[in-house]
Amino acid sequence: MSSTPRKRPAPDALVAGVVVAILIALVLAVFLTGLGSTLYPPKAATSQGREIRGLYDIVFAFAIAIFIVVEGLIVWSVLRYRRRPTDVELPAQTHGNNIAEAIWTLVPTAIVLFLFVISWQTLNSVDAVSAQPDVRIHAIAGQFQWQFEYLDGNGTKVATQLAPEYSADTGEGGMAVPVGRSVQVTLDSPDVIHAFYVPRFLFKRDVVPGQTNRFEFTVDPKEAGQVFRGQCAELCGAGHRRMLFEVIALSPADYDTWLQALIAKSNATPAPPPSGTVLNVVAKDIAYDTKALDVAAGTPFAITFSNQDPSGVTHDIDIRDANGNVLANQEPINGGTSANYAYPGLPAGTYTFICSVHPIPAMTGTLTVK
Amino acid sequence: MATHALAPDASAYSRGLLYEWLTTTDHKKIGIMYVINSFIFFLIGGVLALVVRTELAQPGLQFLTDERVYNEMFTMHATLMIFLFVIPMLAGLGNYAVPLMVGAPDMAFPRINALSFWMLPLAGILLVSSFFTGGAAAAGWTSYPPLSGEGPLNSPGAGQDLWIVGLILIGTSSILGAINFLVTIFKMRAPGMTLFRMPIMVWTILVTSVLVLMATPVITSALVMLFIDRNYGGTFFDPSGGGSATLYQNVFWFYSHPAVYVMILPAMGVVSEVLPVFSRKPLFGYKAFVFATAAIGALGFSVWAHHMFTTGSVFLPFFSLLTFMIAVPTGVKMFNWVFTLFRGQLTFSTPLIFAIGFLTMFLIGGINGAFSASVPVDFALHDTYWIVAHIHYVLFGGSVFGIFAGIYYWFPKMTGRMLDEGLGKIQFVLMFVGFNLTFFPMHMLGIQGMPRRIADYAANAGWNDWNRAATIGGFVIALSILPFIWNVFVSLRNGRVAGDDPWEANTLEWATTSPPPPYNFDRLPEIRSERPLFDARHGRIGH
Repeated sequence: MSSTPRKRPAPDALVAGVVVAILIALVLAVFLTGLGSTLYPPKAATSQGREIRGLYDIVFAFAIAIFIVVEGLIVWSVLRYRRRPTDVELPAQTHGNNIAEAIWTLVPTAIVLFLFVISWQTLNSVDAVSAQPDVRIHAIAGQFQWQFEYLDGNGTKVATQLAPEYSADTGEGGMAVPVGRSVQVTLDSPDVIHAFYVPRFLFKRDVVPGQTNRFEFTVDPKEAGQVFRGQCAELCGAGHRRMLFEVIALSPADYDTWLQALIAKSNATPAPPPSGTVLNVVAKDIAYDTKALDVAAGTPFAITFSNQDPSGVTHDIDIRDANGNVLANQEPINGGTSANYAYPGLPAGTYTFICSVHPIPAMTGTLTVK
Repeated sequence: MATHALAPDASAYSRGLLYEWLTTTDHKKIGIMYVINSFIFFLIGGVLALVVRTELAQPGLQFLTDERVYNEMFTMHATLMIFLFVIPMLAGLGNYAVPLMVGAPDMAFPRINALSFWMLPLAGILLVSSFFTGGAAAAGWTSYPPLSGEGPLNSPGAGQDLWIVGLILIGTSSILGAINFLVTIFKMRAPGMTLFRMPIMVWTILVTSVLVLMATPVITSALVMLFIDRNYGGTFFDPSGGGSATLYQNVFWFYSHPAVYVMILPAMGVVSEVLPVFSRKPLFGYKAFVFATAAIGALGFSVWAHHMFTTGSVFLPFFSLLTFMIAVPTGVKMFNWVFTLFRGQLTFSTPLIFAIGFLTMFLIGGINGAFSASVPVDFALHDTYWIVAHIHYVLFGGSVFGIFAGIYYWFPKMTGRMLDEGLGKIQFVLMFVGFNLTFFPMHMLGIQGMPRRIADYAANAGWNDWNRAATIGGFVIALSILPFIWNVFVSLRNGRVAGDDPWEANTLEWATTSPPPPYNFDRLPEIRSERPLFDARHGRIGH
């Protein structure tokens, strides 16, 4: 019956060779073309991130090995054990094999125990916080903007840096840190859960209301001058994707200069109350107290803006024309503070005043210029 | 028949048919209605996924200019797919198969069975209606408070309340169904069918029912607390009133992690029925497989907090260790399946092809999940697109491929006609290619730092190509559903007549006619192993 050579099953060794060759070729192709590198995290920028990267590489190596072995067995079985017209008799009715089953229970157990132990060791290292870090930053995540308060050795706030507004030029915002120094970040939220995530730190930590989380990192000295993208990683509402920030790595000297400038800016006397037309707007419970403002055409005016929401919730009053173009872009202010916003004279017409942090109907009003 | 010719009142007859289906307590009709109802919500959930993928095809907000609407889309996509597609679809296949597989005439409580089914379309209507009552839930399918609470920036409006009520209804349906399954399995097995002669599908439904029975009341408590917080001024989850935001996460995941096994164990059961039939061999290591299923069920209750590694309020080593350990019984199953194929005689009918699709893709879903068991690695991966890739390799690559294996496998039994093999293979190829094109790139997006649940991303973030690939893949998946619908449509009318046992199968459902009579069996074969029909066909040579 199986006398013609073409119908004879291919020799096992040949099929196995083909399967192994195909899988190795696939894996090689993925890595040689550079696609493989996209399965690795970006280069770690912190010493903690480098440890996580080292751990990732070990887990990844096991993953690739297990994938090749098991996927290879599946592909091999599919290619090798097709039912042929000559297969009338049943195949061997194997119900199990105690030795094989013991092996594929014990070997994976050993592998996962090993991975658990090295993960635990790495965890103890990357999760450690020191009593006296070089730099303390209190990061506050409110819907939908980050604030970074710089603290002194006693935990007293010396200056505040707002993350840049989403649509604004991002020249001056973000959280500056010195390279080579330990930076401890405490996280608080006035509203919902957020998460502090910097991909090049290979790290994120949730910002949970009612609970102060804490973590520490040290940026590698050779990263001085680099800027790392950061982003809220826990869904926090309609503005979730706009909760961006940057971490700016500076040399210790540059950092000191930057911090002194920030302190000077924070301590600067506020702008004097403007003369001329002054309007009053209050923001409370994520809403303006007024939805309509009137000013005269061509005359500069000012708004005394009081943000009466809790600290951590920022608001501003931008002015947009009918097409959504921003005509006046003000810097948001923190809850519990107030500011005097100055606006240029506008041609007669109807405009929108809006909170750039919360562009919702309750924080949108009509500015009539006539 | 002659009497019908004398009184050809067609409208009365069709009303009778509708009345029959609306009031049936036959587990087979109820099972088929579960499948159809779940498939409808699969289509709705799929459309929502396409909306999400289309918005993400390139940077910039294209057509969902209101980001809240975007949040509604992915929230309702996951909600419908999990609670109204995967869970009830597998419950429906179980509803159809389990009484037949254990040789019973029906479920233990037929009218409760009908009740558990009819709660599902009701819950589905409540959930979908929220789109038309001021906006659906938009806080993610996890609905973490405070975001799912009141407040102008959080979840104002009725959508979130409808979501809570809908989920409680679905949970009640699940609990009733689980009790029904357990009583049927323990009390109504045919003579000779000991527990260790039950088909693996029945074992997986048994363990699933235990999970549902123990876990679902817990999420119901979370949902009721959330409802009280939202509507009556409660502060269970509000820190300013002495509550805890992470309490919800603990209670939610105490159900929702076992729910992952509710969504995968019955699909594993389907695959464990299909592989032996189409390789003409018994399942390799039946008892080990049963113990592995029970171990997954037990361990499934002790790993919930691995969803919360980054919250800063989890005892990390414990949950890391147990999460790693759950890979062991899962690996045992994978080897059992592979060695069922090994040295078999494989016939590549569509059920087997989908089952092999399950093996190859669920393997990836298991491996990429183990990364997150390593807590420091999870610090990098959590809440990124890597996690989106992981759950889709488990729930689509695993559950959905298993579901289609089951539909192709049991369609002849349900209808008496075979589905077309050619169309089935076209569907598989499109779905397999589309699935990998959609979800494999999400590993790259996640590891490069793209968070999940964002409506837009910066053009210079380096994510454009992989997002475009994923969107194209999403439409290929959608395309793959068309040959399936066409297949069902033409096969119901013109498909090859199946006969009692078209697959030379092993288990009792193939010992009766296709479709079976309302009472299921005229007579039952002798049951001396988990493969009574194999024994009847081949004698006892396999033992």
